[in-house]
Amino acid sequence: MDPSGIFSTSYRSDRRVVRTRWQALLLALLLVLMFSAPYLASPRIVAILNVMLISSVVAVGLQICTGYAGQINLGQAAFMGVGAYTASLLASKTGISFLVTIPAAGVAAALFGFLFGLTAARIKGFYLALTTIAAQFIFHFAVLNLPGSWLGGSNGVTVPAATLFGFRIVSETSQYYMMLIVALIMVAGAFGIVRSRFGRAFVAVRDDDVAAGIMGINVPATKANAFLIGAFYAGVGGAMWAYLIRFVGVDQFTLFNSVFFIAMIIVGGMGSIVGALVGVFVIRMIQEVIATVGPNLAEAVPFLGGDIVFAGMNVVLGGVIALFMILEPRGLMHRWNILKSSYRIWPFPY
Amino acid sequence: MIYFVNDVITGALIGLLYALVAMGFVVIYRASKVFNFAQGELVILGGFIVWYTTFTLGLDLWLSIPLSLLLSALAGYLIERIFLTKLIGESVFSMVMVTVGLLILLRGVILLLFGPAVRPFPIIFPLRPLFIGELLIPMNLLIGGGITIVAAIGLSWFFNHTRRGLRMTAVAEDHVVAESMGISVQNSIAVAWMIGAVLSTVGAMIYLSGKSLTFLASDIGFAALPVALFAGLESIGGLILAGIIVGVAQSLATSYLDPLVGGSVGSVIPYIIMLAILLIRPTGLFGWRTIERV
Repeated sequence: MDPSGIFSTSYRSDRRVVRTRWQALLLALLLVLMFSAPYLASPRIVAILNVMLISSVVAVGLQICTGYAGQINLGQAAFMGVGAYTASLLASKTGISFLVTIPAAGVAAALFGFLFGLTAARIKGFYLALTTIAAQFIFHFAVLNLPGSWLGGSNGVTVPAATLFGFRIVSETSQYYMMLIVALIMVAGAFGIVRSRFGRAFVAVRDDDVAAGIMGINVPATKANAFLIGAFYAGVGGAMWAYLIRFVGVDQFTLFNSVFFIAMIIVGGMGSIVGALVGVFVIRMIQEVIATVGPNLAEAVPFLGGDIVFAGMNVVLGGVIALFMILEPRGLMHRWNILKSSYRIWPFPY
Repeated sequence: MIYFVNDVITGALIGLLYALVAMGFVVIYRASKVFNFAQGELVILGGFIVWYTTFTLGLDLWLSIPLSLLLSALAGYLIERIFLTKLIGESVFSMVMVTVGLLILLRGVILLLFGPAVRPFPIIFPLRPLFIGELLIPMNLLIGGGITIVAAIGLSWFFNHTRRGLRMTAVAEDHVVAESMGISVQNSIAVAWMIGAVLSTVGAMIYLSGKSLTFLASDIGFAALPVALFAGLESIGGLILAGIIVGVAQSLATSYLDPLVGGSVGSVIPYIIMLAILLIRPTGLFGWRTIERV
């Protein structure tokens, strides 16, 4: 709800994202902070931020597909992989600029996602999630079994550095700006999509697909669109990943990674773009903590060796998903909204 | 020709093993409408329980097998009690998402409890294959196939002809309606998870007998998915036919297509079949055609 004194007098003002002066101010402050981060924070933090920015693009895509359109997607990592491979192959074989390869990677992943979304024409409900598992396995099969000269097989592919006007984007700071700008464009786009006709159709299909169909929404097309958009975001994220790590291998895009992204949107709150960003932040921080604490723990529990980090990550993430589904299925964003409305209507209880 | 016949027979038997694992999916779906993504993890959990009772506790097989089945039923019950009971009344979507969480949670817990080492698995079924003329049939799969068929017939009868089974079916129809008719949703889901966990453990025994136990074994859960879909998620008897078809297709693809493209076509064939089924006949061979009302 809006604070007292703010009323929407037109449709335009009703669909605004930034509704109050405070919000505008805080948003501007956040942007300033984001853009100056490389000068404020240590290189290690910048490296973490880079990964967070990439994850946020992929998670926002998943949010549109799962959170808004209600289609469970266990193949987001595979879609990301398709994007990463497309970008790296285009860049290494033709040498064209990342300005072309990143959108191209998105389109390639979207086509791959659309292929699986097509089954939506025939399927209702959870069956659709199953095709995304198939996507995950078929992606692995394709990479490992196509001729090694195409996709590098199990050896992976190295990616040339991104260049812009002769400037090589290889330092942590320049990569950070590249990731930040791409992520900002994608996230801004997501806000647009979910407020548009498509976004409303997604929500209608999520809440009740039969009712949505009766109201005149083309349900199969909407579901396929959700996959298309979700996969496009994953593809762009994959391309960013390719330019950041400069190496693409099939092991970077497993079912485990897909579940990661699901954990992010569940923690943040399904059906909210900001929620996806919050989820990315929380989950990546948990990951960092486990990765830092893990080696110390490994000394305490020696029989596990180096696997404790992986095992701990599994337990914590799986536990987090289950806990949130049981205790707060609407995620952290819902809690924040409760808090927000309670101070906006203060001193009245409701 | 003899190779062909051999491939078909082995394929059919592997297909029956898939059908057994798929039965876990179907039983849980049939009794709660929840699609359990963590089925493969239940299989390795069962495998580890069998390993634990035979090697760590040092029990004889005739004692350890019933004990493992009992323990896995208990594990299924605990999972239901801890994770799913609290979600009754929430959307089915939440329950399905919890099983996605379970998928990695169970794996992490097993890793923490038992460590990452590769372990031997007890030889439950005779290692010596059965020779019929020139045909060679692995003993574990043959006996496993028998178990699958018996289990399918038994469970099919249970769900279609007993009062309890029909009650559980009603729960799959609609949780709220079932509850208001005096059927305990919680009870039904608990029984389904216990049966599902026991079936997974039996599947692990057949699959791993005399082999080594690693986390790769959980892949069988996803390999069994196409079988469940092919049969239709509600049909237990149909699993046998679907399992045989998928198994034979996979086995023939491994023998005849793998040399052409350099391997592992066999491992994606089930998923390609799955996509085809979903496009052509999403309810599977014997699934229910449901009518939805708003």
